Amino acid sequence: MNVQAENHDGVLVAKVEGRVDSSNSQDFERQLQAAIGDDIGAVVMDLGQLAYISSAGLRVVLLVAKTLGQRNVSISLCALSDPVQSVFEISGFNRIIRIHDTQADALAAAGK
Amino acid sequence: MSANLTLRIPNRVEELSAVSEAVEKLGREEDWTPDVSYAVVLALEEVATNVVRHGGGEEGAAEIEIEVVSTDTEARIEVRDSGKPFNPLHDAPEPDIDAALEDRRIGGLGVHFVRVLMDEASYLREGGRNRLTMVKRRS
Repeated sequence: MNVQAENHDGVLVAKVEGRVDSSNSQDFERQLQAAIGDDIGAVVMDLGQLAYISSAGLRVVLLVAKTLGQRNVSISLCALSDPVQSVFEISGFNRIIRIHDTQADALAAAGK
Repeated sequence: MSANLTLRIPNRVEELSAVSEAVEKLGREEDWTPDVSYAVVLALEEVATNVVRHGGGEEGAAEIEIEVVSTDTEARIEVRDSGKPFNPLHDAPEPDIDAALEDRRIGGLGVHFVRVLMDEASYLREGGRNRLTMVKRRS
């Protein structure tokens, strides 16, 4: 698992690669918090290269989304593979975190 | 086709990635669809994580036994441990998947995945051990 951060005009894109499970979810949380930092207007998590996530990883996504929500920073997800999309739907997370098909869609929405 | 996989691991979450890898390999050899493979790996990780977290005792001091049987029609998963009695299907909280972001709690999601993704799930306390059996049909 690896998180890479890119700044797109004030929107932070965090690209998550690999697998997030209960054995590395703490590392995932640390990497994500470090990537996001303090001075950011919006966050897009690009999950296009995320092969697998379990409830341990979803817990981290939820925690980060809640923290950003309290700071009035928007967060959205994009480019989920079909199995990862199913997991977000079964969790009901697709109803509390906006999910876009592509990073371009997510960036366009975040820039508004 | 039919194949079996039996693994005995210490009760530590760090052991679980190797379990996932072994089960994915079995799935490839047995031609599981990506959906079946993801569901089996996920359900197994969630159940085994619960055993580590709720089984009691020191992490790494007890053993979890995992058995996966793949046939033409189904994947059958059994997780056995000698921790304190714990039936996740009954004792884990139901998540409120309709809650708003600020109210949403995280507990119970793993067992929710088991309920939704598996075709059968049952628990038995037998001979001082917990035994959780799950079945995922392949079509």
